Formats: sequence, structure tokens, C-alpha cells
Amino acid sequence: MWRRIKKGLEVRIGLEDLVNTKLKRYTVPRNTNIFYTLGGVALAAFIIQALTGFFLLIYYVPHSDHAFRSVQQIMTSVPFGWLFRLMHVVGANLIVAVVFLHMLSVFFMGSYKKPRELTWIAGWLMLLVVLTFSLSGNLLPWSQLSYWTTTVVTAMPTAFPYVGDYIANVLRGGEFVSGVTLNRFFALHVALLPPVFVLFLVVHIFLIRRIGLSSPPFGEQTAGSGEWNEYRHVSYPDGYSFYPYFVLKELYMVLAYLVVMFFVITFVPTLFLPQGANIPADPLKTPAYIKPQWYFLAPYQMLKLIPNKFLGISIQLLLLAMFILWPFFDTGRERNILKRPLLLVAFLASLLLWIVLTVWGRTS
Amino acid sequence: MKRRKFLKSLLALLGSTTLVSFAYPLVRFIAPPSKKAEVKRLSLSKGDIPAGEAREVVFNNTPAIVINRPGKGYIALSKVCTHLGCLVEFNKEKARLICPCHAGEFSLDGKVLSGPPPKPLTEFPLRVEGESIIIG
Ligand code: HEM
Ligand code: FES
Repeated sequence: MWRRIKKGLEVRIGLEDLVNTKLKRYTVPRNTNIFYTLGGVALAAFIIQALTGFFLLIYYVPHSDHAFRSVQQIMTSVPFGWLFRLMHVVGANLIVAVVFLHMLSVFFMGSYKKPRELTWIAGWLMLLVVLTFSLSGNLLPWSQLSYWTTTVVTAMPTAFPYVGDYIANVLRGGEFVSGVTLNRFFALHVALLPPVFVLFLVVHIFLIRRIGLSSPPFGEQTAGSGEWNEYRHVSYPDGYSFYPYFVLKELYMVLAYLVVMFFVITFVPTLFLPQGANIPADPLKTPAYIKPQWYFLAPYQMLKLIPNKFLGISIQLLLLAMFILWPFFDTGRERNILKRPLLLVAFLASLLLWIVLTVWGRTS
Repeated sequence: MKRRKFLKSLLALLGSTTLVSFAYPLVRFIAPPSKKAEVKRLSLSKGDIPAGEAREVVFNNTPAIVINRPGKGYIALSKVCTHLGCLVEFNKEKARLICPCHAGEFSLDGKVLSGPPPKPLTEFPLRVEGESIIIG
């Protein structure tokens, strides 16, 4: 049976040639390390979100009068509803961690440098989409946590004179967060963001395949270094085949991702569902314990520390723009960060600052 | 060659007209309909708020608080923090309004005392008529 299908495909689309040229003869450098799998893990994590999100849609009711109850029902009376909801909630947090790690490793290995600037930017756009997924999804359970974190986030534009209030009103569909906001965010979360994400993903992967994977800049120099004045494909004639070697490595890491996910679901199921997540939204009462998700704690703490609204938010936007456009500032040819003490110190210092702000935001 | 140029310009013209004619409706569609806030008065009785106490109300859809400041009389303030929109809480011991979100603090007159809020809390007009307090 299987052989007949294979034969049929071979005759019609040249299956073997396709597999040979696109998967087997497509090679990755021999010195790829474990961090090269993180992009693939992020992709798998996204697919898990899409699937579990679809399952939740079957029972979720996108209306401010019913949303909270429908989510409680998914948790308590729908058979295995808790499983898919927790996978979606825990996955939403883990995917951010994976994408952060992917970005850090790409940065550390200098892979963002010419000719891969656009790959870096496409990656950043995906990160921004992931964060927007998180912000919009966060409102959907219509809990106290949902309501007040959304209030704060949608008020951010008001730091800017003239247009700020208008933008905030458009985001919320009114002066305050309300059922109108819920419907807007729902539409965003399930109908707009997924295709936008896939679009950036296609660009990201296209660029990676078109340019060729970079090799780690440590140890003896390999292909991809040197002057880059015209297009060429970076290939590794003596490298490992993408399939099966690299794909297997990726699969191991995807399974490791699932292990972490199910560990959290089994032993600390409320890790990402703090106090305010189990109380229905009350527009007349801001609870004292509202904290954003862990990956927004650093910017949150910064907002608290900078005693000026306009400055606090502008600095964050500037930092963001700097990170996104970093490959265009950092144009030197040296890719090995270990040979660039200044950058290494700046990198470690920023990382440390981020961790300190996060812990501080958590505990203060 | 001339013909090709003509077709190109025509395409550009039609294309941009199509685009613009959808852009305007889209902006209008997404922006919330501006609704005039109907000013409705709200009245409370003086006995409801002893000196040093406060009472929460909703005034024209806005969560608000009426405070009886010892020695300074009544004041009606919006509870919406001017930083990022959380609702401030009345703290009787400290005689302050404190925002739970980023630790902004306001005096009972609505002035910013500390934290990131950029301007004072919105004050609503209030007057006392006999035994009642009228807001609006
Ligand atoms: C959910 C989001 C993302 C997915 C699914 C994804 C996926 C991938 C995949 C499959 C690869 C190839 C293998 C590898 O090196 O890991 C890759 C490489 C790369 N990614 Fe991402 N990525 C994402 C986000 C990002 C972000 C946020 C950045 C940086 C801002 C980024 C920058 C890069 C760069 C520069 C490469 C090229 C590395 C090389 O050629 O060696 N990606 N990505
Ligand atoms: S919202 Fe009140 S201090 Fe930030």
C-alpha cells in the first residue's frame, strides 16, 4: 500500500528527487550545536498552540457575559478540557521562553550579521506577533487578571500626546475595556494573527534556506565568513544531511519541550494561572495583586521605576527599535562575540539587567 | 511602448482608487462610534459619608469616589489613575489614594504625590445643597 502511494507520487511529482535535493543533499555544518534546534522547537510549539487553540474554540464563548463561565466549564465539565486548556496556557508561556532562547543564541553566534539581517527582522516580527497573541489571548478568559492587565496595556499609547487617546480608544472600542474589547481581541487572536504569523514564518524559513544556514563562529572558520558583495548560497559539502540527522536532533528537542510542558501541567498546574485568573472580571475593582506575565515583568518594573509616563514608554519603544535594527548598527565582520569584549560585556550586562528587573518586578 | 505606459498608469490609478476607497470605510469601521456622554446628576445624602470617609460611585460610566476631607469638605474624583487606567483605592490611614498597579499615589485633592502618573485625577463638579451632595 505504502509503496504504491510512494510509486504514484514518484511518477507524478518526482518524490525521490525532491527528498534528495531538498532534504538529504541539503546539509548543515558539522559543528552545529544544540541551539540550532531552537527555531524548529519554536515552530513545533506554535503548531501545538494552533491545535490546542482550535480545540478550545469548540467550547469557548466570546462574549463578556459568558466567556468566564465557558472557560470554567472547559476546566471542570468538558472531558479533558483542562488538558487542552493547560497545554494552551503553559504552551503560551513556554513558546516565549523558546523564542527568547532562540534569539539569544542567534545573537550570541553572530548569525544576524550580513547577509542575514532580514532573517533577524522576520524573526523579530514573529516575536512581536507571539507577544500580541499573548496579550490578546490573555483577555479572553475575562478574569480579573485579564481585565486589568488589558486595561494597563491598552493605556500605553496614551503616553503620546494628541494621537494617544485615539489609539487607545480604537484598541478598546471605547473609553474603557469592555465586551467590545473582548470581541476585538478575540477576532485578532483567532483570525488575524495566525495567518500573519505564518506569513512571517514563510519569509523567515525562505531566507534561511535561500541563504543557507550559518555555522557557529567558534573554532576554525568555515564557509560564510569573509567579504559578502554578491549573492551566493552557503553550503556545506562535508556537512550532515538535514534529513535524517538534523531532523532527528530537532525531534529530540521537541520531545524535551513536551516533557517540560507536561512536567508543569502535572506538578505546578497553576504556575501560569495566578490568583486573579480565577475571579471573573470586575470593572469597578482593581485587585492589588495584578502582575503581568513573567516576560513582561522587566518592562513593567521599568515603568514603575521611571517616574515619567512619556519617558518610561518612549525608552521601551526605543530599546525595541534598537534590538530590531541591531544588524544594521553592528556591521563589523567579526562574528565571534568572544573576540569582541565590549559587545560581550554589553550582552551579559543587558541579560543580567533583564533578569534583575524581572525578579524585582515579581517580588516588589 | 506608449500603450504599455498608458496601461501602467491606468492600473496605478485604478489600484490606488480602490485602495483608498476601502481605507476610509475601514478606519471608520474600526474606530469606536463617538458617543456623547449624557451628563446625569448623581445625588448622595451627607449622612452617607462621615468626615474622613469616602464612598464609591459610578458617575457617567466612570468609576468615581466622593471623599469627605476633614476640614476641607467634599470632593468627587474619578478613580481612573492617570497613569495607565487602573482604579485607585482610598487609603484611610495614609489619607491618600493609592494605585495598585504601579504604586502611583495621589492626595485626597487628586494631586500626584509620587509615582508615574503624569497629572492629577479628574475632578467632577460637586455642590452641597442642604442635606444632599450633588455631583455633575
Ligand atoms: C516563533 C518564532 C520563530 C520561529 C518558529 C523560528 C524558526 C526558525 C528556524 C526553524 C530556524 C532555522 C534553524 C535554527 O537556526 O534554529 C531559524 C533561524 C534563525 N532565526 Fe528564527 N524563529 C523564530 C523567531 C526568531 C526571532 C525572534 C529571531 C531574532 C530576532 C530569529 C532569528 C533567526 C536567525 C537570524 C536565524 C538564522 C540562523 C542561522 O542561519 O544560523 N528567529 N528560525
Ligand atoms: S496605572 Fe496607576 S500607577 Fe500605573
